[in-house]
Amino acid sequence: MSIQNLNTYDPFADAIKSSEDDVQDGLVHVRIQQRNGRKTLTTVQGLSSEYDLKKIVRACKKEFACNGTVVEHPEYGEVLQLQGDQRENICQWLTKSGLVKPEQLKVHGF
Amino acid sequence: MDDDMVFDPSLKKKKKKKTGFDLDAALAGEQGESTSVEAPAGTGDVDLPEDDNLDLDNFGKKKKKKKKGVFNMEELESTLPETPPAEEPEQQEDEVIDDLDLDIDFSKTKKKKKKKNIEELVLEDDKGEDQENVEDVSGDLWSGTDRDYTYDELLERVFDIMREKNPSMVSGKKQKFIMRPPQVVRIGTKKTSFANFTEICKTLHRQPKHLLDFLLAELGTSGSVDGNSQLIIKGRFQQKQIENVLRRYIKEYVTCHTCRSPDTILQKDTRLFFLQCETCGSRCSVASIKSGFQAVTGKRAAIRAKTA
Repeated sequence: MSIQNLNTYDPFADAIKSSEDDVQDGLVHVRIQQRNGRKTLTTVQGLSSEYDLKKIVRACKKEFACNGTVVEHPEYGEVLQLQGDQRENICQWLTKSGLVKPEQLKVHGF
Repeated sequence: MDDDMVFDPSLKKKKKKKTGFDLDAALAGEQGESTSVEAPAGTGDVDLPEDDNLDLDNFGKKKKKKKKGVFNMEELESTLPETPPAEEPEQQEDEVIDDLDLDIDFSKTKKKKKKKNIEELVLEDDKGEDQENVEDVSGDLWSGTDRDYTYDELLERVFDIMREKNPSMVSGKKQKFIMRPPQVVRIGTKKTSFANFTEICKTLHRQPKHLLDFLLAELGTSGSVDGNSQLIIKGRFQQKQIENVLRRYIKEYVTCHTCRSPDTILQKDTRLFFLQCETCGSRCSVASIKSGFQAVTGKRAAIRAKTA
């Protein structure tokens, strides 16, 4: 029987592991913007730059049957834009694909 | 089953104690009734078997009573602040939208409470009178003897003291926070007016600017307060949507994150906003308002003309 207290314990093991296993850091903001008429635009800001946003947008466009682009922003990095109110869809898709944890998602707008 | 499990050892304990008690009583008996210290024991020594019974009852009651105590608290609360919402707990979540009734989480507790209340009303009559007596007895249970007090007794005692000392805490916990719904009217086709904006700011005790910043950042539009203190927002919004945003604002910036009391002060300290609770005294930082990324939705040519 080993003495538990004398085991070497790395206090940073947790932090290192957590930063490793989820590439996603910080919150992912999902917003909606109104355009002319009933049209809206959904923006997804804060996705990790380690993901290929172009591939994500390609998959999303197919999945939600909408158009979309990746916009480069000097402050916020690459931002996803999708046509229409895709907030529900994108949240479900991101969590289902495992890219973002549900607690990291922050949905804005009405 | 568990009750029995708990029950048995305590019984044994009691028996042990009882023997101690008996000795005392016997001593008292031998020494005569003159000893003043043994006076409670003297009464006890006549009632000894009864005392034991009482204990048993207490155990049964205590469990019920503990719940009951909670019920009572809740009952008081529900009766004191507002009776009407308490009467319709099921519909409340629907009404939440209408009233802009802010404690969403409370509605759940209320439901529970309601159910319990019904049970409790049945029990009430039987136990109401006994309660005080039982408390007295429980107070005496270990005071006259040298037996150990049980956990249940101590717990009950501390709750009794708590209820006695500050009833405001009990009734204040579930204080509801009712707001007038926002009056949202469309102006033309592209703008929306939020008529009672300043009034809502006043009821929330927040700076209009802070709420304005939040609303505009969340809705991703622009807007301003006009001459008759109403807010004009660009874009089409319905009352329901504004209510949603308001509710999120209240959750983040008005209600205390610890005790959910709306009695808070928002103060700015070195570029950060802190929420200071007046009820529980907790102080925590709240998220800063950021509008984040805003996509270009207008005519690009017009923007280019403006900047160039």
